[in-house]
Amino acid sequence: MKRYETIFITHPELSEADQTELEGKLRSIMAGLKGDILHLEDWGTKKLAYQIRKNTRGRFFLLDYLAVPDLVRELERTLRLNDRVLKFQTVRVSDWVSPQTAETLKEAAPTERVTKVSERSLSPEEHVREESADSAGEEEK
Amino acid sequence: MKPAVKKKRPFQRRKVCVFCADSGMKIEYKDVKTLNHFITERGKILPRRISGTCAKHQRDLTTAIKRARNIALMPFSIVAQ
Repeated sequence: MKRYETIFITHPELSEADQTELEGKLRSIMAGLKGDILHLEDWGTKKLAYQIRKNTRGRFFLLDYLAVPDLVRELERTLRLNDRVLKFQTVRVSDWVSPQTAETLKEAAPTERVTKVSERSLSPEEHVREESADSAGEEEK
Repeated sequence: MKPAVKKKRPFQRRKVCVFCADSGMKIEYKDVKTLNHFITERGKILPRRISGTCAKHQRDLTTAIKRARNIALMPFSIVAQ
């Protein structure tokens, strides 16, 4: 098995029902293809560095899991089909996780269903200046 | 007239890669705060000759910044105001 993490950005006004539905789908894929969710983080609504489908904000989720490559394909397909999901990105964290390591990782994983992460300042805000329409259009020399 | 004298660049201390100097520092695409030090005000990746990072860490840095851009944590470009 390999370890992956997928960040997906959803619409900022994601309803509780939509969130549960999406989460349920992800969990059923995990169950169906023998993957293991290590943890699911909810970063909350953040400002996007650039607009995605006319949205300036988005809700970020980070899913950390152990899986086989087929599962990732299925997971990404599901995310692509969901119109509440604006964008996603999967990164392979480690190439090979042995069964023993997998066990330790699972034990170390937080027990909450969804971990809320807000204090971690990952915001791009410092570099995203307010998109004011009245920019003078002055090119820097 | 005297021929134009070539301006000598003032001696600069050789920069040391910050990631080599501080082993506790990790390059992570989710850690926007750190990555922000390595882009210009336009949002471009700082070249090695400016930031002084070593080749290995510059490569990792580039990947990290590109990943962060892809997932909208960092901008591709910042428009001057």
